[in-house]
Amino acid sequence: MIPPEVVNWSILNEIISMDEDDPGFSKSLIIQFFDQAITTFDEMEKQLTTTQNLAELDNLGHFLKGSSAALGLQRIAWVCERIQNLGRRSESTFPEKEILLSTVAESVDIDTVQDSASVAANFTGDDSAYLNAIAKALTQARVEFKLARKELCKYYGEEF
Amino acid sequence: MSFDSHNLNVDIPAVMKASANLIPAEADLQNITTETTTNISGNKSKTNSSKNNSKAASNEFVRKLYNILENNEYPDIVRWTARGDSFVVLDTGKFTTKILPNHFKHSNFASFVRQLNKYDFHKIKTKPDDKEKLIYGELSWEFQHPCFRIHDASQLDNIKRKLTSQKKMDDRPPVGVNKNHPSQQNEQGAMHTVSNDTINLLRKRVDGLEKELRMYKDENLNSKVEVQKLNSKYNTVLSSLVAFKTVNENLMNNFNILCSTLVNHGIELPHPLYATGNYHSSKSTGPDSSGNSSKTHNPLPLMVQDTKFHSQQQGVVHQADSMMNISNNTTISPPVKSEESLDLNNIVLRKGFHVLLVEDDAISIQLCSKFLRKYGCTVEVVTDGLSAISTLEKFRYDLVLMDIVMPNLDGATATSIIRSFDNQTPIIAMTGNIEDQDLITYLQHGMNDILAKPFTRDDLHSMLIRYLKDRVPLCEQQSSQQDRRLSSQSSHNQSNTPQQHLQLSVAPQQISPSSTQFPSSNQSQSAFHNTAYDENSHILKKQHT
Repeated sequence: MIPPEVVNWSILNEIISMDEDDPGFSKSLIIQFFDQAITTFDEMEKQLTTTQNLAELDNLGHFLKGSSAALGLQRIAWVCERIQNLGRRSESTFPEKEILLSTVAESVDIDTVQDSASVAANFTGDDSAYLNAIAKALTQARVEFKLARKELCKYYGEEF
Repeated sequence: MSFDSHNLNVDIPAVMKASANLIPAEADLQNITTETTTNISGNKSKTNSSKNNSKAASNEFVRKLYNILENNEYPDIVRWTARGDSFVVLDTGKFTTKILPNHFKHSNFASFVRQLNKYDFHKIKTKPDDKEKLIYGELSWEFQHPCFRIHDASQLDNIKRKLTSQKKMDDRPPVGVNKNHPSQQNEQGAMHTVSNDTINLLRKRVDGLEKELRMYKDENLNSKVEVQKLNSKYNTVLSSLVAFKTVNENLMNNFNILCSTLVNHGIELPHPLYATGNYHSSKSTGPDSSGNSSKTHNPLPLMVQDTKFHSQQQGVVHQADSMMNISNNTTISPPVKSEESLDLNNIVLRKGFHVLLVEDDAISIQLCSKFLRKYGCTVEVVTDGLSAISTLEKFRYDLVLMDIVMPNLDGATATSIIRSFDNQTPIIAMTGNIEDQDLITYLQHGMNDILAKPFTRDDLHSMLIRYLKDRVPLCEQQSSQQDRRLSSQSSHNQSNTPQQHLQLSVAPQQISPSSTQFPSSNQSQSAFHNTAYDENSHILKKQHT
C-alpha cells in the first residue's frame, strides 16, 4: 500500500547530510528531480494520448520510480511502480484518488493539491483497462508531485 | 490396325532342335535385373519407333511382338497358337538368331523370356500328354497373357510391366514422353529408380538421425536448466548455512561477552558452560543485547559490524573489548583470535578504489558517485550497457556498480558479455526489481551481488566492504609493483588510470595468483552471501518504503 509519509526522511536526510561537504547538493538534486518528473509526466501523457505504448509507459514509470525513490519521495515512487506494473500488464487497476489521499499523513495539507491536471480515463480496446488505470495513476502522480514539492519547499524555506 | 494371319505352318523338328540348348535359360526367368530390362526395353523401343510409332507406349515390347505375330512373318519360328490366346516360339534357335537381332536388337533368348515375364506373360508348362505338344513340338515355348490375343490390339494396353517393389517410382512414364527418346528415358528411369531408392533410404536415415539429435538437444537443454536450478538452490542453501553460521557466531560472541561481564561482576558461572562459550569466541561483535537482536535478523556480519562499530557504539565496543581481554586472561583456554576478528576490528575501506558506475538516471548517478567519493573511491560513469562493455574492455576497475534497466543494453546482458572476458571484477547489480526470479537471473548472468534500490549509504558501504575489504586498490598495486610514476596520480583523477598492462584481455587463469583479487575461496564465499543479502535487501527495502 502507498506509504503515508510523502518524504522518507531517513533517506533524504542522508542526502542532505552530504551538503556539509558540498553545499546545495541535496537541493540541486531535488530541483533536477522536479524537472525530470514534469518532463516524464508530460511524456507519459503523450504516450497515453497518442501511441498508447504500454512498454514505453512501463519504462517511464520505472525511470521515475528510481530517481524518486533515491530521494526518498516514496509516494511518487509508489505510483510510478504502479505505472510500471500496469505497463507490464501485471496489474490492471489503480485505486481511487480519494482512497489514496485519505492515506496521506495528517500533517500534510492536501486541500491545495486537489486541482491537478488529469487525463481522461476513457480508453477502449484490448489494453483499455491498463491505459485507463495508467491515466488515473498519472493524475495521482501529479497530485503526489505537488504534495512532495510543497513538503520540500517547506523544508528548504523557499519556492522551487 | 489389321494384320494378316494366315499360314500357320509349323516346322516342328526345327523348333525342337533349336530350343534344346536353350532350356537352361528358363532358370533365369525369375532373375530380373534392372540393367537387362533397360537394355531390352531400350532396344525394343528403338525398333518400334522406327517401324510403328502409331502407338508407342510403355509396352512397346508387347506391341512389337504382337505385330510380328499378326504379320505372321515367321510362321515357322513364332506364331499364335490355334486358339489365339497364346503364342508359341517354335524354333528358339532361329528366333534368337533372326528375330531378336532384327526386332529387339539383341540375340539373347533368355532376355526375351525375362522381358515376357516382366509383362506378366506366363510360360505354359508342357505336359507329356498334351495334344498341342504334338503340334508344336516338345521343345516349343508357349507363352500366354490374358490380354494378349490374336487380332485383339485393343487389349494390348492392358499389358503392363509388373510393378516390382524397386520400380514403383517410374515404371509407367506417360505415353507422350517416352515417344521421342524412349531408350534414353528408360535408362534414366532405371538410374533414377536406383538413386531414388538410395535417396529415400538415406533420407529416412537422416530424418531418423535428426530426430535423435533433436531429442538429445532437448534432453541436453533440460539437463542444463535442471543444473542451473540445482545450482541456484545449492547457492541458496549455502547462503542459508552461512547466515546460520553468522547468527550462531554472533550469539556465541554475545554469550561470551555476557559471561565475561558476569564474571567481572563477581558472579560465578558453572565452569564448563563458561569454558565452552569462550572456546568458540572468535569475534568481538556488538556488545549489547539490542545490537544483538538486530544482528540476528541480519545475515551480513560485516555490514553490521561496520555500522555498529563506526556509528553509535564505539565506546561500548571498547568496553567490551577490555572485558574480553580480562576474560581471556582468566580462562583456561584462551580464545583463538582468528583473522576474521582482526578484520572486523580494522574494517576501514582503503582509499583509492576505482569504481565504474553504470547508471542512466542523472540523480542516481550524482547520489551514488557522491557516496562513493565519500568513501574514498574514484568514480567513472557510463550510462548504458554497451558503454560499460567497451569501457571494461579498455580499463580495469576494482568494482562495477551496474543498473539493470538502461537504454541500449540492459545491465544483466551486459554483465554476461563482460563475463566472457572478465571473470574477476566484482559486478554489483543496482535495481529496484528484487523479485526472486529477477535476482536469480542477475546472478546467473554473472553478477556477484545485488544492491536493492533505493539504497542508503550504509547499504553501499557494506557492499564495498564485502568486495573490497581484502583488496588493495588497483592503482596502488600498479604504483607499488610496477610503475612508480602512477603513484603521483591524484586519487581523484577519474580518467583512464593507465593500467594497460593489466588489461582484461588477459585470460583469468593467466593472471598470477598474487595479482588475483578473488581467490576461488573468496569468490565462492561471496556467492554464498548473495542470497543472504537478498533477504537483507528486502528488509532494507521494507524499512524504506
